[in-house]
Amino acid sequence: MCGLAGIRSATTKQRNMTERVAITGIGVVTPIGIGIADFTSALRAGCSGARRITAFDCEGFDTRIAAEVDDTSFDAGSYVKPRKMVKHMSRSAAFAVAAAAMARCESRLLAGDVDPYRIGVSLGAGGMGPVDLDLLAGQGFAAIASARGQDSDELDIPAFAREFRARTNPISMLRGLPNLAAAHLAIQQDARGPNNTITTACSAGTQAIGEGLRAIQRGDADVVFAGGTDAMINPVGVLGFSMLGTLSRRNDDPEHASRPFDAGRDGFVIGEGAAILVLEREAVAKARGATALAELAGYGCTCDAYRITDERPDAEAAVRAITLCLKDAGASAEDIDYINAHGTGTQMNDVTETTAVRTAFNGSGLPPMSSTKSMIGHLLAAAGAVELAATVTGMLHDFLPPTINFEVPDPACMLDCVPNDARSAQIGAALSNSFGFGGQNACLMIRRW
Amino acid sequence: MVPPADVQPETSLVGLGAESIDFLDLIFRIEEVVGRKVPVSRWETFINTRLPGADLSRAITLAIVLEFADQERSRT
Repeated sequence: MCGLAGIRSATTKQRNMTERVAITGIGVVTPIGIGIADFTSALRAGCSGARRITAFDCEGFDTRIAAEVDDTSFDAGSYVKPRKMVKHMSRSAAFAVAAAAMARCESRLLAGDVDPYRIGVSLGAGGMGPVDLDLLAGQGFAAIASARGQDSDELDIPAFAREFRARTNPISMLRGLPNLAAAHLAIQQDARGPNNTITTACSAGTQAIGEGLRAIQRGDADVVFAGGTDAMINPVGVLGFSMLGTLSRRNDDPEHASRPFDAGRDGFVIGEGAAILVLEREAVAKARGATALAELAGYGCTCDAYRITDERPDAEAAVRAITLCLKDAGASAEDIDYINAHGTGTQMNDVTETTAVRTAFNGSGLPPMSSTKSMIGHLLAAAGAVELAATVTGMLHDFLPPTINFEVPDPACMLDCVPNDARSAQIGAALSNSFGFGGQNACLMIRRW
Repeated sequence: MVPPADVQPETSLVGLGAESIDFLDLIFRIEEVVGRKVPVSRWETFINTRLPGADLSRAITLAIVLEFADQERSRT
């Protein structure tokens, strides 16, 4: 008897299974809306954020479209105290800070409600770092160009060092470190708890939220600002994805370019932005009278360990991420009313993802699965976070976000993708999938509170 | 690395472990040889016309790639 009790208490110490984790606030900076209210309206209306690129001169590029945050309606400084700190922030750090400020506002978390050392940050961020290309081009590349040998491509390192030092403000280097976005967020929110940056590309946002959930479950934090941010709409970012053949080239019709599951899909539309969710331990939320928007119920994560771009054709590891997530939540496939897909709109992903969900839901029937990337674009490290935000808001307002631009079904990925129009529906529980370049598979589950 | 002796004209590249990025790499190297940009769409069109309905995991051989490279080289 004593032996059994000992084992039981050891396992409950590892993770407190009885206490739920709530989502108490959401903030978003997206190409279809700044703030959860505008974002929700845009999702309901099936708006596309894709346009011709304005961030730089894209003449001659194979892909000349992107989903950009509208700078005329986004003033980063208004979310930052003191305002002058904005000049130390990269574009994606500013997105994250703004999203966190909006999320905190909705959560009504007041200074003094929670010990700052119990407030953590878990942020998906860009692998290239939130580096502004102007910085790199103006300082780094110019220094390289003037230090190159006359007859060869070899770099004269001492000459490069002289040029670089002469042109570079030392503080500007700090904008480029990938962990600085989470640092700025922590400074703004006085979050002194565990601070982690996750760089698993397209699944980083989902994984950051999952790791935030775990930090609370294992007792390291009571509140976590969790989400993702990215801002890669610059010549190198666009060229990089374009040369890999992943971007849509529907340049003459940007709003219809992102068309997941459609037979005429030809790749994704790169986007930028951030989403931050306030995750909170149930007892803490109750004690301060917070309103829970939803329960963050489960998380599953695997890796294909197969190829660096191609996915496993049988999607075995992706299936496992889904089933692990369901098991983590103590749920089963039948409980799920909606799935927010990774749904990039590349030829390969949409087929593999359909295979994965069909396998995971074999026997219980596949619920509707839509891709909000059809509207928002692919926000890379922020994608998983923005897409969970879309799922939560759909649950709160009783609608399924649509997959827009769906005209011709593809026999290789047949499913109910909520074509073109948002659908009124009650969501009791939902999943959100993310599958990253490199094979990372992550799945989150939310449940009505 | 695959020993050159193992690669015959009729060897399937996917059979040797080639994946999608390896074909992008091949096109890049063809560009370096012919001295100009080779759009991926031209490779795709070539494959679709040259090997209609074929099992591409078997049919894309060294010979097929060399045929494409020759075609690109002789374009003016």
